[in-house]
Amino acid sequence: MNILVSVKRVPLTGGKIVLTDDERAISTRHLGFTISPHEECAAEEAVRLIEQHGGSSTVLTLGPPEAEEQLRDVMAIGVDRAIHLVTDDQEWDPQATAGAIVDAVRAQEEPYDLLLFGNESADAGNYQVAIRVAHALGLPCVTGVKAIALADGGLRCEQEVPGGRDVYVVPMPAVVTVKEGLNLPRYPSVPGRLRAKRKPVEASNPTRPEPQLEMLRLVLPVGSGKQVQVLGQGPEAAPAVVAVLEELGVI
Amino acid sequence: MTALVFLESRDDEVSRQAVAFASQLGEPVSAVSIGGAYAPRAWGQALAAAVQEREASSILGPGSERGNEVLAHAAAALDRPMAANCVSLTPGQPARVRRLRWGGSLLEEAVVHGAPLILTVAPHVVEAAAEVEVTELEAGADADVQVRERVRADGGGVSLADASVVVSGGRGVGSAEGFAVIEELAELLGAAVGCSRAVTMAGWRPHTDQVGQTGTKIAPDIYIACGISGATQHMAGAKGAKKLLAINPDAEASIFTSADYAVIGDLHEVVPAISNEIRKTRGS
Amino acid sequence: MLAGAIIVSGALFATRIAFLWTLIRAAPAVDRPREIPRRLRNEATIVLGQRKLLQRAAPGLAHAFIFWGFLVLLPSILIAMIGAVDKHATLPWLGHQGWYALLQDIFAVLVLIGVVAALWIRKVQRPERFRGSHLGEADLILALIATVAATLLLWHATRIALGLNEWPRAWAPVSNALSHLFARDAATRILERVFVWAHVLTILAFLAYLPRSKHLHIFTAAINVWLGRTRSRGRLEPLHFEDPDVPEEDLRFGAGTIADLNVKELLDTFTCTECGRCQDACPAYATGKVLSPKLVIMGLRDQVLAQDSGPLVPAAVPEESVWDCVTCGACVQACPVSIEHIDHIVDLRRHLVMVDASFPSEAEPMLRDIERASNPWGRAQSERADWATPLGVRVLEPGDPAPEYIYWVGCAASFDERAQRSAVSLAKLLQAAEVDFAILGPRESCTGDPARRIGNEYVFQAFAEQNVEVLTDAGVQKVVTACPHCFNTLANEYPDFGAHLDVVHHTELLAELVREGRLAPQGAGGTITYHDSCYLARHNDVLEAPRELVAAVGTPVEMERSGRQTFCCGAGGAHMWMEERAQPINVERVRQAGATGAETLAVACPFCTVMLDDGVQDSDSALRVADVATLLAEAVEGQTDGRP
Repeated sequence: MNILVSVKRVPLTGGKIVLTDDERAISTRHLGFTISPHEECAAEEAVRLIEQHGGSSTVLTLGPPEAEEQLRDVMAIGVDRAIHLVTDDQEWDPQATAGAIVDAVRAQEEPYDLLLFGNESADAGNYQVAIRVAHALGLPCVTGVKAIALADGGLRCEQEVPGGRDVYVVPMPAVVTVKEGLNLPRYPSVPGRLRAKRKPVEASNPTRPEPQLEMLRLVLPVGSGKQVQVLGQGPEAAPAVVAVLEELGVI
Repeated sequence: MTALVFLESRDDEVSRQAVAFASQLGEPVSAVSIGGAYAPRAWGQALAAAVQEREASSILGPGSERGNEVLAHAAAALDRPMAANCVSLTPGQPARVRRLRWGGSLLEEAVVHGAPLILTVAPHVVEAAAEVEVTELEAGADADVQVRERVRADGGGVSLADASVVVSGGRGVGSAEGFAVIEELAELLGAAVGCSRAVTMAGWRPHTDQVGQTGTKIAPDIYIACGISGATQHMAGAKGAKKLLAINPDAEASIFTSADYAVIGDLHEVVPAISNEIRKTRGS
Repeated sequence: MLAGAIIVSGALFATRIAFLWTLIRAAPAVDRPREIPRRLRNEATIVLGQRKLLQRAAPGLAHAFIFWGFLVLLPSILIAMIGAVDKHATLPWLGHQGWYALLQDIFAVLVLIGVVAALWIRKVQRPERFRGSHLGEADLILALIATVAATLLLWHATRIALGLNEWPRAWAPVSNALSHLFARDAATRILERVFVWAHVLTILAFLAYLPRSKHLHIFTAAINVWLGRTRSRGRLEPLHFEDPDVPEEDLRFGAGTIADLNVKELLDTFTCTECGRCQDACPAYATGKVLSPKLVIMGLRDQVLAQDSGPLVPAAVPEESVWDCVTCGACVQACPVSIEHIDHIVDLRRHLVMVDASFPSEAEPMLRDIERASNPWGRAQSERADWATPLGVRVLEPGDPAPEYIYWVGCAASFDERAQRSAVSLAKLLQAAEVDFAILGPRESCTGDPARRIGNEYVFQAFAEQNVEVLTDAGVQKVVTACPHCFNTLANEYPDFGAHLDVVHHTELLAELVREGRLAPQGAGGTITYHDSCYLARHNDVLEAPRELVAAVGTPVEMERSGRQTFCCGAGGAHMWMEERAQPINVERVRQAGATGAETLAVACPFCTVMLDDGVQDSDSALRVADVATLLAEAVEGQTDGRP
């Protein structure tokens, strides 16, 4: 099997989000970075599928030079190589992102059997890059997947829906977006990390097209303006809590 | 020109909210739903084809999993941008929207270029339209990407996404066994038990209990969050809660900025006290 | 015949020693600084002076008698061998010395007293520390020792009875007295030969048996003590992940198999006498956990001697034991032969965590958060200095002139509201005393201590390098910290990464300020019992400063296990993030504190604060747990805070 996993470097925002002065980005001073939990599960699944069925895996990201950190993290759990589409500080909208990924996929010698994405990115949450990639490549796409298995020459995917799971069986090659809960991502071993430092990263600098979904600025949502009502300290607050619950009709 | 609005089903509330939202465009609404087994690619193509047929200047849909998926397919087929989970719209050439980022903890103001305007509407930003005339749209068959069957989710108890009361524990619970006090209170209230991501990472609860941006999004009447500091990723899953009671020993915890009610204290003392108080009230 | 016996015994002895020597030769080396004077002092006090053994008076004295007796009687072995061959010959000069005969008499008796005392302890008292030890082997050894001493005395007695003594009989009162049991006759002539041969053959048999039993310690103990840590007890030996001389497959990531145990660790396993003092001292064992430091060393020894090259965990050491350890060092403190159990356990952890990625799942959020968020609580670093903003504490920005002190706050005080109180108190005190200090705020990352203690040396080193760079760039010389774990890491471990800092614990600085009169507490604080943090007291010898402060604000009363004998609060070894299984260590310590009758339990560590406060809540204790800084701040401001 030849598997591609796409990830995106995002900041770990903590308890509140702070914007830059120009309001066009989150201030990332003193913030750590990671990939979305959905993508961690995607990477883990890629490694598991290769362990089970043989083949190789690649992790791809469209992001700034610092995103190499995320590529190395993913390679540390066992993904074999990386593709880094290097960008500057500017945002790439979903169509541009999908376009760059499609170009990179088409440029590969070996075609991919499976392209794994997170269901949505943690920051922009546009829910569409994978679908656009699938369209451009003429591949079937299943989203929101919580279980994957090779079956009957295709991929059996379970999509989470209210009250249960919808089952799809798609032929490969296919695009699948996954959600956290698909698996438990492994913790990287140190030998894995050391090897990852030397694994190949194919870097290129795609040109950003004009954005069709053009971000003007970011805005912090207005607080509800509600004043928190302190019911008390410690266990003595219990009666007040129960009074509120009764008032709300919960009890 | 019409505003084509996709409904997951006639009765789906968030879809009808999208219909109401569409009225801002000042054009007649053409509300459609699609029958048969769910086939996202085919449904998206059907919507794309309907644009010309119905002279649609825009395609709207609910900001739900299905809504986002189908409209993304339509947008891909038409090679047009799609703005997901919008909370506001300024019609124009080009239109401007505000949409959700970070699960709702941040908003983006964006220009959506080109036509038709394709967007999904974030849940619960407008009231659902009362009367909606819905027509059926035919979608072609899609052998590859089509739902074959539905399997029931396992696990009993109250479903987290549907529960009207949710009690959650975070890092402050300290261990898997520590959740006993949370479960006790949940049982007394007929509530579902939730948790934060740190808890599932620690292996104390399964991921199906996780409330958050990448877990379950809840919308209870009241959400009781115990020992949870209030990271944005968690709060993104709890936005839908009508009321939030936070129990935390740290008076400066960020969760208190979003809470309606607060108890400053250790959940291991406070939660059992609440349970006892409930039992007393019922007993009398 | 003697020659034959010596050859056989010698060969048996030598082959075994050769085998053990090949194991030592093959083991990875350990890097210990020369520090010759200190090591000589250790040999003198610990080995000759039996200092650590005498931490327990009765068994210590019993052993000391046997050990000193063994030293004094060494030449008598030669004398006996000579006498066995030729009943009229003896060692030149020494064999004729009356005073040496006296010494032999005295020490042979002392040896026998020691043996009797040891048997009394083992057979009658039956202390808990022997659970798991091989008692049969010990009995045999005691029997052999007793036989050696008894046959010596009896041989002397019969020689005196036969008039063969080379020294005046009056010099050997005991032998002399015994000699009256024997007549000057043929039977005694036979007995004289019997006793000398019994003596010599017992010694030779003992010699052959020695390296195949725990009695090997008589050779290895002196070497093990020599190689023991001379300073920085809290410092762990770093691993090297980038070594141009070592191919990556051969990099050592802790101890996975016997081949990974380094020279000191191997010697540790050869030196263990199964005395169980470490087991007695261990707070995990005391609270019903699986871990026994003694069994860890014994398990490793058995696998080494069996040359079993499979994984050490769980074959030699059960997995639970590895995670039970709180790295408090009570075991190392108690061990009379300088075994360093923490190194073994941390090395086992290193392999499990870094190679197998196997560790208790409850530690996973902590490990991931340290790496991604730079603190084990996963909170945003941008919020790290929020506690300090209302106090107007100076946050050092890049390029700012360096203050006299950097107050290294630590993650616990930055993010945990109970630990934060000590930070607030300390900041107020420093301001009141007009100390020129600043905090690093968001640029202060976790020191990496929890990562290192749980075994992730790789992540620890990344943080060490990063923090050293920040501190060096800031031009910082003096650091004060209220967290003993940060203190230990900054002072003892960061020098391995290029730091040159003067690190003091906040109690040391505060005590100095009180002495100088820059802080004037009005002491009226009731009875206070002070809990020594393991990382402060045992690992770093900071004992007096906190006590000065406690005495300045209230009436001190000591717990039974205090000072270097302190009983852990349970948070060390990354346990702050790991679930407690059996009866929690912290509840036990709270019980010990309550037994003093004190009103307040004073601490000097944010982990102790949280653990002991939890312990108070989990039991019926009415103790108030507070950091020494908080108590001092109240005494200085004249506040009566009451229960927080």
